[in-house]
Amino acid sequence: MTDLSTPPNPVKRKYFPSSWAGRCKLISIIWGLLLVGGWLFNTNWKSETPANRPIQTLKEDYSSAVTCRSCHPGNYASWHASYHRTMTQVASKQTTASDMDGLELTDDGTDYRIDLVGDSYFVRSKMEGRAESEFSEPREIVLLTGSHNLQVYWLETGKQRTMEQFPLGYFIAEKKWAPIEQTFLVPPSAKQVSSRGEWNAGCINCHVTVGRSQPVGDRVFDSSVSDFGIACEACHAGGREHIERNRDPLHRFSLHLSDKKDQTIANPANMDGPTASLVCGQCHSIWSFNNAAAASKLDTEGAAYRPGDANMELRTVVQPFSEDSATRHETLKEYGTSFWSDGQIRVTGRELNGTMASPCFKGGEFSCLSCHDLHPDKTDEKSLASWAKDHQMGVGMNTDQACLQCHEALAVNIPEHTHHVSSSSGSRCYNCHMPHSSYGLMRAIRSHQITSPTVRESIDHGRPNACNLCHLDETLAWTADKLNEWYGHDIPALEQDDHELSAGAKWILKGDAGQRALIVWAMGWAPAKRASGYEWFYPYLIIQLNDPYAAVRFVSWKSLKSLPGFYDFSYDYTITDDAKQKAACDQAYWNWWLKVRDSRHVYQEKTVLQPSGSFRQDTFQRLLKERDNREIYLIE
Amino acid sequence: MTTSNRHLRQGWWTLFIFLTLGLGLETLHGFKIGWYLDADVEIRRLMFTLSHAHGTLLALVNIGVGLTIRCVEGFDLEKNVSGALIWGSLVLPIGFLLGGLFIHDGDPGLAVFLVPVGGFMLLYGVGCAAKELSKQLKP
Repeated sequence: MTDLSTPPNPVKRKYFPSSWAGRCKLISIIWGLLLVGGWLFNTNWKSETPANRPIQTLKEDYSSAVTCRSCHPGNYASWHASYHRTMTQVASKQTTASDMDGLELTDDGTDYRIDLVGDSYFVRSKMEGRAESEFSEPREIVLLTGSHNLQVYWLETGKQRTMEQFPLGYFIAEKKWAPIEQTFLVPPSAKQVSSRGEWNAGCINCHVTVGRSQPVGDRVFDSSVSDFGIACEACHAGGREHIERNRDPLHRFSLHLSDKKDQTIANPANMDGPTASLVCGQCHSIWSFNNAAAASKLDTEGAAYRPGDANMELRTVVQPFSEDSATRHETLKEYGTSFWSDGQIRVTGRELNGTMASPCFKGGEFSCLSCHDLHPDKTDEKSLASWAKDHQMGVGMNTDQACLQCHEALAVNIPEHTHHVSSSSGSRCYNCHMPHSSYGLMRAIRSHQITSPTVRESIDHGRPNACNLCHLDETLAWTADKLNEWYGHDIPALEQDDHELSAGAKWILKGDAGQRALIVWAMGWAPAKRASGYEWFYPYLIIQLNDPYAAVRFVSWKSLKSLPGFYDFSYDYTITDDAKQKAACDQAYWNWWLKVRDSRHVYQEKTVLQPSGSFRQDTFQRLLKERDNREIYLIE
Repeated sequence: MTTSNRHLRQGWWTLFIFLTLGLGLETLHGFKIGWYLDADVEIRRLMFTLSHAHGTLLALVNIGVGLTIRCVEGFDLEKNVSGALIWGSLVLPIGFLLGGLFIHDGDPGLAVFLVPVGGFMLLYGVGCAAKELSKQLKP
């Protein structure tokens, strides 16, 4: 019988082994459990490889930007703040520039509705005006390109990893949707027939790091990339060897404590000018494949070029500067209106073409990095966001210092060289030697071909010269006289109009769409407004709201909004109905004429205006009749 | 000076020093000093934080050692063991601190090599102390 009055003898339990063998066993079990736990923790059970869009797969020696972060946090942070990173992103609620849930849009006879499901956006479409029940099956927006000016969206197609462009893009600053063909300077007749596979075949070459199109059928692709966006290894080449080698702390410290360069990674900062520039130019240039086999190789394996190489291996930068005029003509013909007729590049995003043709480049030291810092210097006090928005300029490089770092002698007496007072915008090196004569991203951009202004470039090739981009109200003859007086230029033979009419007015009325875009942009540029007097800009910007080219209308609207009385001016540049456009112009014109115009101001005859400000109809109509209406495509 | 007193004195003074360092780090935070907080000097911030944390913790260890010697009858540390504990608890956090002063991108300065030196001294000191204490506590 059990005696319940006395508690049982407590059993002494041994929680910790007393022998060394037992202790080792216990430690081994704990380690094992930790390892299994760690593995489970690191495994993302939910992630599945998406089948409806390009995916990230590392190529040979590439290891992706996230790997670089642990050792280079500062450089990673500046890259992360840059628009290079967000050039291409997987689409999600977080990466799209606007909330698109429930958005309804109409373009070209089709209604679109976008809905957020989970973290992804889906698009349904139907013919305009049809019943809700006729909406198509939803298609996911899987990828997006751009994050600075314009965001473009890519839809799944059901054909493996092939994508198709959503037909409208989103202007971030303006918070405005626009048909894709109205986001480039293209003729009004231009219409995209089909964009299926366009990203996979074309955009992938530059908008990601080491993209491989991998065509598997007729416009069907199984594309992959090393990194979405332009990541570390786009400029530093594959980093796997670098990472492996630098796991050894002794190796790292031997590099830290010596002047030796790390040979396991490419660093554009240590390259000569042309080689460093080619790192940027692998994308920022107009290039062509060397042959069909090279194109095919790039499609399947990605670019053979590695930063540090002296040439692009499968590709060549197109430079239409051949001495042989037939070759030059052929090149210019092939690349359409991307170049001025003297071979100077006229679209943005292709800066290497201009840089290579610059005299500075021939010295061998000058490169993109002479002015741009792809990682801001430690002395740069700007925030990373400001640095990114400021075109990633180096410290002081958005001032004369950019040029004076080499041309030191000119710093002694700048007015002697510029013939403008020191504080004038006419004394800024950039304004004369890198004028806004390129176009892209719906605005004028500084030419990266460093030149000196001439009147001949304007009369022979139609390129607005730097002087008249500021002195829009002056004639070409005036410019020719000044350049002759100050720099000894020959005075070329000029037409009568060039003696009598403002260059700016003439280019707007008579020029091609590219010239018109540059001049209406200049009319919103503060130095030109100061130098030319902005009163006469109003009627020109208003009539250009009715330009046949959507891009010109957009730029005119933006410039008009920079003028007093029109800061809040609202206008939809995407309207293609001519009557509606004209009505908007009329309304803006009368608003200017009755409310904004200073009736005491006397307008100059050379600006093709009457003293009161109305157009001199005879000259105005004549110039419009003489307008260069050839089709212009400026696609950056 | 007795071993116990030496550890207590060391412990309280280093506690004062590394708490002061902590206050300094808070100040750097408070004024958002880029030299300490910027992304490109992340390693400096890590080194200083580790220095503060280890220095403070090891100060408490030394106080604990001093009190243990007083509490456990017959327990004392040999001079080299005591020295290893005292110097280890100085060398290790100072290694972190100096390593954070001069950095190379993602790497600390050369002084970080003091950290493993201090670490081994501490391991030796703590191991010997545990062994000696076990002897004294045997029934």
